[in-house]
Amino acid sequence: MSTELFFVQLINGVQYGLLLFLIASGLTLVFGVMGILNLAHGSMYMVGAYLVWYFVALTGSFTVAAILSAVIALGLGILIERMLIQRLYNRNHLDQVLLTIGMIFVFNSLQSILWGNDPYGVAVPEALSGSVPFTDNSSYPIYRIFAAVICIAIAAALYFLVSKTRLGMLIRAGESNREMVEALGVNIKSLYTIVFAIGVMLAAISGIIAAPMSSIVPGMGESVLITCFVVVVIGGMGSIKGAFVGALLVGIISTFAAVLIPTMSNMIIYIFMILVLLVKPQGLFAK
Amino acid sequence: MSRITILASTVLATTLTAGLSSAALAATGDPIKIGLMLPFSGIYAQLGEAGRDGLKLALKEHASQLHGSPVEFIELDTEAKPSRAPELASSMLNQHKADFVIGPVHSGVAMGMIKMLRGKDTIMIIPNAGSAAATGPLCSPNVFRTSFSSWQPSYPMGKVALEKGYKKVYAISWNYGMGRESLDAFKESFEAGGGEIVEEVLLPFPSTNFQSHVSAIADKNPDAVFTFFAGGGAVKFVKDYDAMGLRGKIPLLGSGFLTEGTLQAQGEAAEGVITGLHYAEELDVPKNREFRKAFNTEYGHYPDIYAVQGYDAGQAIASTLDQLNGDISDKQAAIAIMEKLTIDSPRGEFTFSKAHNPIQNIYLREVKDGVNVVQSVAAEALEDPARGCKL
Amino acid sequence: MIFEKRTERIFLAIFFLIALCIPLFMEDNSFFVGKITTILILAVFVMSLDFLVGRVGLVTLGHALFYGLGGYLFVILTPEYEAVNFWIYAFYVLGVSALIALIIGAVVLRTSGIYFIMITLAISQMGYYFFFDSLEFGGGDGLFIFIKPETSIFGLNFLNLDNPTHFYYLALLGVLITLLTIKIVLRSRFGRIIEASRLNPERTEALGYNIFAFRLISYVIGSTLAAYAGLLFALQYGYVNPQFMTWEMSGTALVMSILGGMGTIYGAILGTITYEGLQYFFEHVSEDWKLFMGGAIILMVLLLRKGLAGYLEKLLEK
Repeated sequence: MSTELFFVQLINGVQYGLLLFLIASGLTLVFGVMGILNLAHGSMYMVGAYLVWYFVALTGSFTVAAILSAVIALGLGILIERMLIQRLYNRNHLDQVLLTIGMIFVFNSLQSILWGNDPYGVAVPEALSGSVPFTDNSSYPIYRIFAAVICIAIAAALYFLVSKTRLGMLIRAGESNREMVEALGVNIKSLYTIVFAIGVMLAAISGIIAAPMSSIVPGMGESVLITCFVVVVIGGMGSIKGAFVGALLVGIISTFAAVLIPTMSNMIIYIFMILVLLVKPQGLFAK
Repeated sequence: MSRITILASTVLATTLTAGLSSAALAATGDPIKIGLMLPFSGIYAQLGEAGRDGLKLALKEHASQLHGSPVEFIELDTEAKPSRAPELASSMLNQHKADFVIGPVHSGVAMGMIKMLRGKDTIMIIPNAGSAAATGPLCSPNVFRTSFSSWQPSYPMGKVALEKGYKKVYAISWNYGMGRESLDAFKESFEAGGGEIVEEVLLPFPSTNFQSHVSAIADKNPDAVFTFFAGGGAVKFVKDYDAMGLRGKIPLLGSGFLTEGTLQAQGEAAEGVITGLHYAEELDVPKNREFRKAFNTEYGHYPDIYAVQGYDAGQAIASTLDQLNGDISDKQAAIAIMEKLTIDSPRGEFTFSKAHNPIQNIYLREVKDGVNVVQSVAAEALEDPARGCKL
Repeated sequence: MIFEKRTERIFLAIFFLIALCIPLFMEDNSFFVGKITTILILAVFVMSLDFLVGRVGLVTLGHALFYGLGGYLFVILTPEYEAVNFWIYAFYVLGVSALIALIIGAVVLRTSGIYFIMITLAISQMGYYFFFDSLEFGGGDGLFIFIKPETSIFGLNFLNLDNPTHFYYLALLGVLITLLTIKIVLRSRFGRIIEASRLNPERTEALGYNIFAFRLISYVIGSTLAAYAGLLFALQYGYVNPQFMTWEMSGTALVMSILGGMGTIYGAILGTITYEGLQYFFEHVSEDWKLFMGGAIILMVLLLRKGLAGYLEKLLEK
């Protein structure tokens, strides 16, 4: 591999890693605060992609479609938490797993009923459709740079939210001591609703951002779910920082593996995860 | 929303027929039972639905050929899961006593079905799965295919590449049956004509993280790229190829599924992609124009290749029954008739080979303004070599 | 009595009574016999998972690895065109599975909780890719078992595996053996230590027991039983495919086990029958069966606190 190609692939890997972070961030946030393992997280990613496709077709504007989709996802998150998740707080974790598996079935069916099973694509928004010269015979699309920037911005916003704001303080307190937060007069129920809804919205936003770069197809949620879990487990469940580092590592490793040992590339991230867990059984940034 | 009403009525209908079926059947005489084993949910759902719609249209159009025999459809969702294939095939064979079993889309499911149905008293018609084994080592008198073998769309593309003057080709696909067989078929004719495969990449199925591979292609700078991808993967690959600026610089060739049923999603990115397939939507054959019109009238949208393959399965059934005067009880006679059929397909007429795979034209197509435009016939009446078949 | 609860005894008595008689009524419908055989085989698989998850406290999402391995190992170990003896080769398959489980267990048991879930999932996905990508094992298309094994013991041959009814009884025997194995293990001293280490690992450790070793042995037992289920499933239709070992397969089994009532063992049978029954019904009613299936799962998890077995116990244990 030439030095030039090495850097090209490094950029590809970072870009993939940033998107992985965005998808995984909601998952790790919800787990960290509420202790809920949301297997339907991938479905929310799918919902985001389908919604933005639908609204782009309807309104013609990617920006409008993206905002509408994110807001709907937030509402959906509140609804799911209030109607379903909330009823299971005092239950076994496995009941929650079962519930979210049921949700995967429902969301996949709804997707098929509402939007059909054809593969769809969203065109890159006009303003971002150009590309910059890259290597001799390839160029780098502006939209993908934009997507990476958005991912970094959201990572920064999340970091700020968790470490600097009152909500963040409650989140940090809530994950370590539920009773204490309640004793402070904070309604832990609403806090959980907000956190879950933000988690859903983050998944949907990653679906929205990924939409112009990928294909919108049935089952797209499950295809990202496992990679997402690998990311948060490597980073340490519940840690936003861990998810960020884990995502970049997985992004870069799988990109290089894909080129250097393509037939093995799907195994590489699992091998990497197992190695990490053998050295650090709680992930890199365990709490 | 109409599907909800359909859903409600099917619930009602199934509950009613569950009780009434035996009485109703006795009154109308023996129906022709056609079992559909297709994916109606999951990633291949669109292919399953198209195949079913085509099949039903054919039987509706050719109702007169059935000589008054009623048709009963049994539909089972394979979910494209091989683990359920033998069980569902057993349901068709032993529970529903289907005369014909139409399916599947997915090659792994095909293996499970063939295991159960080979040599049995039902006729299996494969309306998509291109696995070489189905009409190769595992061929069987009662197994037919109205679609293609994986070899067929790719083999002629080797010659096409050479004719266009491409000497060094980068080949990339998924590491599974269809992907490997497609690349092998391309290589077979391309290398025989003196071409060189500079790199052959097989990615884990169904990974769609293509960007790094596109960068690697740019780095390698081959004369052209040959690929097999389908469905969502095809959309993603073509989009990545375009996004990284390779479109217009390095020609992209493929087995036709790269641009089949995916053009709308690919948009501008697919312009100029060259593929080989046994069909093209705008194929200038009278039968194709009629078919497209009829299909659109029936379903409100235009058909794709998967609908054509289902339609031809329906046509094969109808023609066979016509010659049997509507009596399907003797399967050996039915098989003997089917083997000699000439199907007037929207893709042009085809016949079945000894191994029961279509002998058909492969068209060379190029995407122009969002349509696969036929450039020429890449191979006329191409017959799959059916390696390993003893029929 | 190894079946402590009244509900358990009633359920199992009814279950085995009906199960024994089913083929008598269905001699002419080999599909239904086959379908119920598959459910019985799945029940073996789900019971083995229920043992690990509900009793040992090892929540695994990679259990299907052994389900798939049972079939693949049989194909790998047997000559292609020769009818081998079922019992001897089942012994080989289970032996190798146990060895593999021992090695994998020694690695994965170093983690716990959600990390254990993920590491087991990762290993089973690796197994899946291994078979999916390997040409010699048929890749994604899978492999056929062309000749079914014969089942004679000491020259006596009761079962002909080509006969669906005979195969059915073999599967039912599998359910019985699995149930008894798990129950006997749980009732033993070993089982009580396992139970204690699930409820209070620190204390058990303090009493001088090596929890790791106990969990490892349990993991091997559970995995070997799963491999037996997988072997039966592969032989039923003579077909193996890497899809048998996907995480979806493990997930579905987990759903069945939770639905049935985690850790009750007999609940696993109940959960499997309910899940498969619902799926069969919805599939024949609507193309959008997954919507109903998902709805049913959500409803059941909201309404039933301890699964179906818990509900039955509420009705029967007074």
